[in-house]
Amino acid sequence: MLANRKLVLAHFWLAFAVFGVALTLGAWQMFIRSPLGTWLSNPELYYRSLTAHGTVMGYVFPTLVAMGFGYAISESALEQRLVGVRWAWAGFWLIVGGSIMAMIPVALGRASVLYTFYPPLIGSPFYYVGVVLVVVGSWIWVALMSINLRVWKGANPGKPVPLAMFANVAGSYLWAWTAVGAALELLLQIIPVAVGLKATIDAGLARVFFSWTLHAIVYFWLVPTYIAYYAIVPRAIGGRVYSDTMARIAFILFLVVAMPIGMHHTFGDPQVGAGFKFVHSAFTALVALPTLLTVFTICASVEIAARLRGGHGLFGWMRALPWDNPMMLALAFSFVMLGFGGAGGLINMSYQLDSSIHNTQWITGHFHLIFGGAIVIMYFAIAYDLWPHLTGREFVDLRLIRTQLWLWFIGMIITTFPWHWVGILGMPRRMAYFDFADPAIAPQALSVTFSAIGGFTLLTSGILFLVILARGMRSPAVEAGAYRFSLAVHQPATVPLALNTHALWVALMIGLTITNYGYPILTLALTEGTSVPAVYVGAQ
Amino acid sequence: MSARDLFTLTNRHFKTSVGITAAIFVVTAIVGFIVLPFAQPWVQFANVWDAICSAAGVPQRSAAAAAQAQDKRLSEVVLTSHTLSRPNQEAIGRGATLAQRCAICHGPTGISRADSPNLAGQYAAVIYKELHDFRSGARTNAVMSPFATGLTDQEMGDLALYYAFLPRLPAYHPTPQLPKPNIVIYGAPMRGIAPCGSCHGSLDNKVGSPWLEGQSEAYMKAQLRAFAGGDRRNDISQQMRNIARAMTPQEIDEAAAYYASQPPDIVKAVD
Amino acid sequence: MSAQDTGHQGAEIARRTERRWATLSVIIIVAMAVIAAIAGIHRATMPQARVETTDPSRLHLSGEFVESNLGSVLESNGAVTVRAIGQQYSFTPACLLVPAETPITLRATSADVVHGILIQGTNINTMLVPGYVSEQLMRFERTGDYLMPCQEFCSFGHEGMWGKVRVIDKAKFAELAKSSGRLSCVGQ
Repeated sequence: MLANRKLVLAHFWLAFAVFGVALTLGAWQMFIRSPLGTWLSNPELYYRSLTAHGTVMGYVFPTLVAMGFGYAISESALEQRLVGVRWAWAGFWLIVGGSIMAMIPVALGRASVLYTFYPPLIGSPFYYVGVVLVVVGSWIWVALMSINLRVWKGANPGKPVPLAMFANVAGSYLWAWTAVGAALELLLQIIPVAVGLKATIDAGLARVFFSWTLHAIVYFWLVPTYIAYYAIVPRAIGGRVYSDTMARIAFILFLVVAMPIGMHHTFGDPQVGAGFKFVHSAFTALVALPTLLTVFTICASVEIAARLRGGHGLFGWMRALPWDNPMMLALAFSFVMLGFGGAGGLINMSYQLDSSIHNTQWITGHFHLIFGGAIVIMYFAIAYDLWPHLTGREFVDLRLIRTQLWLWFIGMIITTFPWHWVGILGMPRRMAYFDFADPAIAPQALSVTFSAIGGFTLLTSGILFLVILARGMRSPAVEAGAYRFSLAVHQPATVPLALNTHALWVALMIGLTITNYGYPILTLALTEGTSVPAVYVGAQ
Repeated sequence: MSARDLFTLTNRHFKTSVGITAAIFVVTAIVGFIVLPFAQPWVQFANVWDAICSAAGVPQRSAAAAAQAQDKRLSEVVLTSHTLSRPNQEAIGRGATLAQRCAICHGPTGISRADSPNLAGQYAAVIYKELHDFRSGARTNAVMSPFATGLTDQEMGDLALYYAFLPRLPAYHPTPQLPKPNIVIYGAPMRGIAPCGSCHGSLDNKVGSPWLEGQSEAYMKAQLRAFAGGDRRNDISQQMRNIARAMTPQEIDEAAAYYASQPPDIVKAVD
Repeated sequence: MSAQDTGHQGAEIARRTERRWATLSVIIIVAMAVIAAIAGIHRATMPQARVETTDPSRLHLSGEFVESNLGSVLESNGAVTVRAIGQQYSFTPACLLVPAETPITLRATSADVVHGILIQGTNINTMLVPGYVSEQLMRFERTGDYLMPCQEFCSFGHEGMWGKVRVIDKAKFAELAKSSGRLSCVGQ
């Protein structure tokens, strides 16, 4: 039951439209700093573009996808009309307003501070306030997801919450809490300086606040993808979820341990104690657990589908999989990229290995592979799967869809593998140009060129994606039926309270935040003399 | 089971999850705060408490290391983005009076007729810093040093605000505009040279760095050479010496000639 | 495993298989964490032990980061200490001079915004956050020149912020160190 199709469509269209813009900027950036481009006579343009690319891809695009998908899940999994539709639209328009407010100063070059802010660099206050509005808009969604679940529980006491909704709400709580770090940084530290109320800022404390957000935000981006793994893929390829319980545990683990691990981003920072770095490093290792569990469960679910289709043999069943089904293809690509990206993540996790690649191009390669690759390719798949239910029209050309997915996969591999490599060679991040003529870094030139070619492959795929969606709005009408999610092999009749509610896990998440972040934040906030003069970018 | 029972020890999930989480935290904390600090033979801790505090990141003021005595006078100015960032009419008025004695070299409108720097519309922090350095001896000049010696901090601030307030005018002897040389546009990354404009105004202004459009070519050349040769050392922590030393003599000539040929409106407007 | 097997027995088998996999996953994770800790001790790559604060706008006035104290110094115990600062858009000294096969402590900080020091071809990598002192242990086995770019965006001149490290023979360094000044390879 998808009653509010317009709401979901609006979120998706806006998400993919801004994605298209940011993708174009990204491809341009890959090109201009590669040996194929000529050096920019104004390097600020590069940082401007980078700020826009990061802000859109990091804050706006995935948030809109999670929101749109979340509303769709709420209506279809709970089979209940969305409660609070007006609020949902208010949240949407807040994001629109916030994005415009943030992007105007960025476009004018008044806020080229990158999406990571990094004070004491300070840009236009409108940029920061815009970002805050985007976050506030998304918090409305968080509240609505919680309220809708509560309404459903009131009407269905004791029933297991459908897995998709359980995961969706877990993701929304994770986002609500993880956004608090950046919100505190913006509201308490940056905005007062940007508007001129204060002249100094504690750069070290700001980095700690930001790490609170910056790592767990990745898992917020990841949740829709994991929901697709568990709740869409098995149904789409004719299988069943191997285990409903394991799926719940995976999302619970994300909720609990995704957040108190962010300080692995500050391994190289002088303002964080070595003890807390170790604690965060250990908890970072833990966050691999839900992914390992998921890989197992999904592979088993896929195997079930294959065997139901007559596949047999130890590995021979793979041949029986519906490879012409875009969902199957997307899942396979996503898993390959998740595998490589995850292996890279294990390297970033330890101080010792991280120190050889920290803040090099390896890191950008890593999160593009995980986010742009493994996660976003499933966003495409989600859109393809939902589209007929939203538009009442079917996709005619599955081949085009497959081409798009192939292009994205190949493009992402061509882009990110050389990117990782130049990172190992020590190529630093976020530079507008490099002197590849210098013999010391000339060996990196070829790899960077490949990455740029990959960037254009991705751009082609992205454009194709938008074309497919647009054509999907005008293709022949179809009765898509109710939107359904996968069933488990052993569909649970009852679920233990702890696995059917979020309270315990939210409490653990907050508790771990206090143990892992409380002291570092308090001690920096209370120490005198750690604030440093602001440096206004583009100042005259 | 109701929601209240969720947080009781009779709930298996509560017991297990809180227990495991607490255990992981305690174990990693013991390893991180006690075992690892003492496992590092290259760091000495007074006692366990010192080790724990250090690992927790209790901030300590950097120990006053026995620094070498400075063999020559260096700049003692402290600049931040808020240095003289608020002009006021009174200060500008006082500055105008004081500036009468500067006019011989720097021109009545702040535009020099000789090879002294033009000061009209220069950033206030720059003028303040140079005056301060002339007074302290961090920068020396036969003409300027005696002038600066008698100035108080407030007078230097007034002068700086006055000149910053003056409109930016074309140079006294305008020359045809030259194309931008590569060293100015791109710098030279591998030699550690950023584009000039990233500090000197056309892209961004690093506090204390002047904008250069329309300045005397001879003056800029002489200053770049002085920075490169170490004769001029009042740039805080070598920020300009690092750049000038890495420039070739030809690049110094090109950069000086380029900036001298530019009209002042090339610099972004002051807000 | 058979998909038709939906009875109670099947659920039990599924649970057991899952538990085995979960146990294996935990073992993998614990093993990685232990390896990381041991490697850190064994290879002497640990995060700096203490958090120290300093005032970035007054570095040049007093304390260990005044201009005459920047560079390398041979300590009485045979180790070397290198002091450096990062600022928009250069390191001072712009070229660090250090001996090979010697334990070196790099102490550095930022005079303005966030910078980072990365020495290419090594695992020497630290952030410079204004207000705090970064300390990093390092040791070079090979002599030669290394590039030292700033690895964190520090505003519009970031792309031009590249320093150098020159590693020279231990004996040669000791010879140079006799002059008692702070050593660097600036201007060479």
